[in-house]
Amino acid sequence: MSALAAGLAGDLGGALEAIVGPLNVRRPPPALARRFAAEGAAPGGEPAHLVQPGSPSEVAEILLLAGRTGAAVIPVGNGTRAAPAQRNPGALIGRPRVFVDSRRMCHVLHLDETSLVVHVQAGLTALALERIVAPRGLSLGDFPPQVLGSTIGGLLSVRTPGKSSPRHGFIEEAVLGVSAVLADGRTVHTRVAPRRASGPDLARALCGSEGTLGFLTAAVLRLYRRPEARFLAAHALPSFEDALAAVRLALREEAAPAALRVYDAAEARAHLGDEVCPPGRDEQAILVVATAGPTDLAACDRDLVASAAAAMGGTQLDEKLAEVWWRRRTGQERGSTLPVPMIQVTASPKRQPAVYRAVRVACAGLGVGLRAHASRFEADGAVLFFTLMDGAGQALAGEPLEAARAMTEAAASAAGAVLLGSENHDLDPYARDLRRGLDPKGILNPGL
Amino acid sequence: MGERRLSQRESDLASYGRDMWPRLLIGIRAGELPPDRPHVVVWPESEREVAAIVRVARDLRVPIVPYGGGSGVCGGAVPILGGITVDLKRMNELSSVDRDEMVCDVQAGMNGERFERALNRRGYTLGHFPSSIYCSTVGGWLACRAAGQMSTKYGKIEDRVAGLTVVTGRGDVVHTDGPIRAERGPNWTQLLLGSEGTLGIITSARLRVAPTPELRVLRGFELESVAHGVEAIRRVMQRGLRPAVVRLYDELDTFINHSSILGGKKSARSHGGPADHMFAPVPLPAQGALPHIPPREHAAPAPDGLVGRALGLFGGGDTARRLASRLRREAVSAALSRPRLVNSLATPLAERVSRHGCRLIVGLEGSRIRTGVEASLVFDELERAGATDQGEEPGREWFERRYAVSYKMSPTFRAGLFVDTMEVASTWERLMDLYRAVKHAIAQHAVVMAHFSHAYPEGCSIYFTFVARSEPVRDAQRAYDAIWRDGLAAASRAGGTISHHHGIGMLKGQAMAAEHREAMTLLRGLKATLDPDGILNPGKLGLPASIEPAPPDEVTAP
Amino acid sequence: MPEVFASDGVARQLDECTYCPKMCRFSCPVSEASGREQYTPQAKMDRLNQLRRGHIPWTEKTSDPLYACTGCRQCTTQCMHGNEPGLVLLAGRAAANARSAGHPALAGYPERFRSREQRLVDILREHLPAERFEDSAPVGFWPGCDAIDKGLSDIDAALRLFDRAGATEVKVVAGGQACAGYPLLAAGLVDMFRWQATRVAAALRPYRTVVINCSACVYTLRAQYPAEGVALSSEILSLAEYLDRLEKQLQESAPSCALRSVYYHDPCYLARYAGVVDEPRRVLSRMVEVRELAGSRTDTECCGGAGLLPKTMPEVADAMARARLRQVAARGGGTVVTSCATCAFMLKRNAPSGVIVQDLAAMVAGEPGRSGPG
Repeated sequence: MSALAAGLAGDLGGALEAIVGPLNVRRPPPALARRFAAEGAAPGGEPAHLVQPGSPSEVAEILLLAGRTGAAVIPVGNGTRAAPAQRNPGALIGRPRVFVDSRRMCHVLHLDETSLVVHVQAGLTALALERIVAPRGLSLGDFPPQVLGSTIGGLLSVRTPGKSSPRHGFIEEAVLGVSAVLADGRTVHTRVAPRRASGPDLARALCGSEGTLGFLTAAVLRLYRRPEARFLAAHALPSFEDALAAVRLALREEAAPAALRVYDAAEARAHLGDEVCPPGRDEQAILVVATAGPTDLAACDRDLVASAAAAMGGTQLDEKLAEVWWRRRTGQERGSTLPVPMIQVTASPKRQPAVYRAVRVACAGLGVGLRAHASRFEADGAVLFFTLMDGAGQALAGEPLEAARAMTEAAASAAGAVLLGSENHDLDPYARDLRRGLDPKGILNPGL
Repeated sequence: MGERRLSQRESDLASYGRDMWPRLLIGIRAGELPPDRPHVVVWPESEREVAAIVRVARDLRVPIVPYGGGSGVCGGAVPILGGITVDLKRMNELSSVDRDEMVCDVQAGMNGERFERALNRRGYTLGHFPSSIYCSTVGGWLACRAAGQMSTKYGKIEDRVAGLTVVTGRGDVVHTDGPIRAERGPNWTQLLLGSEGTLGIITSARLRVAPTPELRVLRGFELESVAHGVEAIRRVMQRGLRPAVVRLYDELDTFINHSSILGGKKSARSHGGPADHMFAPVPLPAQGALPHIPPREHAAPAPDGLVGRALGLFGGGDTARRLASRLRREAVSAALSRPRLVNSLATPLAERVSRHGCRLIVGLEGSRIRTGVEASLVFDELERAGATDQGEEPGREWFERRYAVSYKMSPTFRAGLFVDTMEVASTWERLMDLYRAVKHAIAQHAVVMAHFSHAYPEGCSIYFTFVARSEPVRDAQRAYDAIWRDGLAAASRAGGTISHHHGIGMLKGQAMAAEHREAMTLLRGLKATLDPDGILNPGKLGLPASIEPAPPDEVTAP
Repeated sequence: MPEVFASDGVARQLDECTYCPKMCRFSCPVSEASGREQYTPQAKMDRLNQLRRGHIPWTEKTSDPLYACTGCRQCTTQCMHGNEPGLVLLAGRAAANARSAGHPALAGYPERFRSREQRLVDILREHLPAERFEDSAPVGFWPGCDAIDKGLSDIDAALRLFDRAGATEVKVVAGGQACAGYPLLAAGLVDMFRWQATRVAAALRPYRTVVINCSACVYTLRAQYPAEGVALSSEILSLAEYLDRLEKQLQESAPSCALRSVYYHDPCYLARYAGVVDEPRRVLSRMVEVRELAGSRTDTECCGGAGLLPKTMPEVADAMARARLRQVAARGGGTVVTSCATCAFMLKRNAPSGVIVQDLAAMVAGEPGRSGPG
């Protein structure tokens, strides 16, 4: 049965099978179906299918089918990212759902080793890409492993919150061009060039819009050569504030570390072992840093950080400590699974100490334990991560967490922090209008 | 708005009818003043006023053209359908510099050089040095995605924007990003940057600043050929090194501008830098207190020239003697009517006579320690790639005269020639093909040379400069149009972008279809959303004009 | 013939400006204060070029841009061609007058100039005791027309300084003129300028040295009088140069200064025409610390008072003066000293609160400063 006939017959599943083949159409896993049914829509009733296209033209056909049948198309990647809140759940009521899983479109279309650029399909996970290019001494950049679990399409569907890394920026800055299928089935390819001045950067319309303007099918990404040298170092500083000040000093000297993190004592013990901050050193902070690049330059960056640490009263620790951190960060070793920090804020250099102190004071007032670290440093700020614990050293959850969260976030904001996940709504009406223009039938991720 | 900030005076309207698009200058030389002009010019002093103007324009269905320094080279500020020209230059304040976050808030109408000097006084730099810095505005940079000479370190302007304040075509004042970085939705900052006044009027921006550099290192190198030079730059960039500026001149450019044969090095100095004109000249006794205005028909003689001298207008026109024989001038003219011949002779001539290959200028700046280390690594890498160190002086010379290129336009046009530039970019893999294809396309109509700059780990930009006769004017305009049509088509076919930093304006509108293909749907979608009535800078950026030309009587002062 | 004055040279300058991307625009205070494209040096010169080529007819409206200039030469110091829009545009004004296309605000200027002359001569005669005047003396003091009109107290201060320094050889120039003629050139009235110059030269001849407190007239006397065939045998000095000469005498009798520091504003006609930048600073720093404004010495920014701009475009002129002093207010206020009656007037008139403007002579004489027209 042709797709057209099947669609007209109301047999959505059949129509989908005609496009991608019967093996690639399934019932969506219950968790997924629940997630998209939970918000006010009656569960069950509407048909739901999980379909795995193998090419952009199959995606185009699926979108055209959705347009004819009124189905809602919801892209799913690797499921590694928490589903964003559905802003418009009513748009899903009464509509069949087609969950489109891009993971069969996972080829590397072209690796240009002259330009260090790779053209990949959107269903490839970043980790898989790293494994493919690593033997050639290449990498996407200094991104932590938890980020790499997503598909490329998933990574580009939202914008990375907070600050970036001094060397490689945000992952969306690695994008030189994208391909996407629009709601009307046409495929667009944005012009690939290192930089352009031929109008707005149209790729930036598609990236970050969670599939509502177009379904990402491929991306052209920058790669980096494996650095000639990498140095790891760890320093103990008298206090968290001193460690932050040391980072600021080093960044002012234009040090460009591959990764840099500051732990307060409690966090350092949890991540690196109790012996790193012996009892009685509860105010201490640990600074771990990896510098990479041409040997002399990486060494220079390492020395700039070391001088800055020394200037703030720090002492250098055994390199092995930094190695522990680095191995866990790059996924070579699994540490004990630690809870994801519940409070994540950005703050400018001047405000970071005040924010930390405010949160500590708030937690002390609540009788709640606190661990903190700072990373993703940039000239204009960093991200501070706070984990809240109960008296037994377990992570807070449920009701107590929510109560504590409200107080601590308020304290942090009052001290000048900006919560990650804050949004700017000035252009929302324009985003909606743009969607209506490009997707008049509202088939692309309409619940968002 | 009050009378002070609105004008319908003839002399004002005339001056807003053009920017620095060379095609307009070809006409001006022949006495054809630019035909397009606005019906009224306004000078708002706040965002609210800009928004009010947009709303009025919507009601009257009259086009709006935002205007900054008018230094664009693509006709982007020409009001082809008349209407209201909104001159942003009275919104020209640097309101603050935040040391903590290293950002500043600046209004769009502020002049580039004044902005940079104001930052310098506080110990900062934007790191953005376009050759038009003296005559362009911050808003113009943002609207066109401009690049400065040190973009390899500091990025293009779009890399330094933390947020924009824009008045959309609906009359709303919106802030993109800002202190809160948007995490969902399209990146509106990057969608409004480069929109050339067609999606909104940028009124102010939050830009990232850097501390003024403690150390600046400059050096010159020589390489055997363009291909060797390109490879050398690629190796430097892909090693993870980040010089502030890298400029590779092809053989012809090196011959004309950087070899001493045509006095390329010295001549620019000998006509004197600004310092020579510090104090007013003294008229001779009895010659008259004021200069003598020449009579109507009096045309200044062009500098004399061999073919090489004509080309040497790029290096030393101002030292050429005032007296030019008509014979020589016609020889130049004749030579330039056979550009293919000239091109095919010039390069091998350059290579043989000068025995220079290609000049490469490299510069680094930043914190003292790290810049020193990085500089050594860059120079080592270049030498390993086959470059010969020429020492500091070529680098210093380039730096001291880095804005001089703009002063070469005048002598060229006066001599009956026109000069223009085409800047494209691509990844390394396609770069040499791009170079050859575009050069070949332009060389059919003009003498052309090129340099490579604005390097990235993944690619580079190529800057072509071409010269041809500007008279008779119709022939010149035909040649001009052919150069752009063929050059940009060649660029698109070779996989490059049609503009790296000058923008599209009117000049490149027709090439937008090949540049973006189906993605033009997205641009049209943005236009329909942000400017539903089509009043913002119609006819630019390859977008069709959907509005009628403004009838003169209906445009009245609100 | 210095090339910028010759026909060929002017044709070259006009063409060079016509095709230029306006490289000097950032430095033109008229253009920056008004934001008008037509008032950039490029557009003004281009306008003159199109007029003289006959592409545009000469009318009051079309010649308007020629008057949007104070002749401050900031543009010239930036221009790699060395063009002189300041001087060329004055010639353009003369051409406009010849075609009855002069600026409407300057209608009947010859008559107005004559009656102003008479008025100012009378004011000075009344204000100063007769002993101050002398037809001939080793040193003749010429206050300049703006000083008589708007800065009498500064003239008094200067005379007190001469007394204090024991410079009894200084006498105020007697004669029926108050103005050395710069405004006539600024109005494009070259013939009348020559006529005035002849009369002034006659009055000045008996003095060995003439000390003049008008910055524009220093250049006018030194360079433009001889150019119009009017010979001057006297040494022409600005007041700042003369006070510098009186160093020893002034030092001995110097009053103490209550201020810790002052700013010095270089009049553009002293800095970029006459080359007088060190002398006023030497004079001042003998009594108080001198701080530099952003844009000082040969980079100084025009107060808006020259080129007859206050008559033709008063709002722009005032905006220029305000722009000049903005930085002082931004730094918390202070005292700005200048060495030109015109600058003093324009800056005082537009000084924001917290900013005090003083003439050099008044400062050195120990006058208390105040803002507002003197």
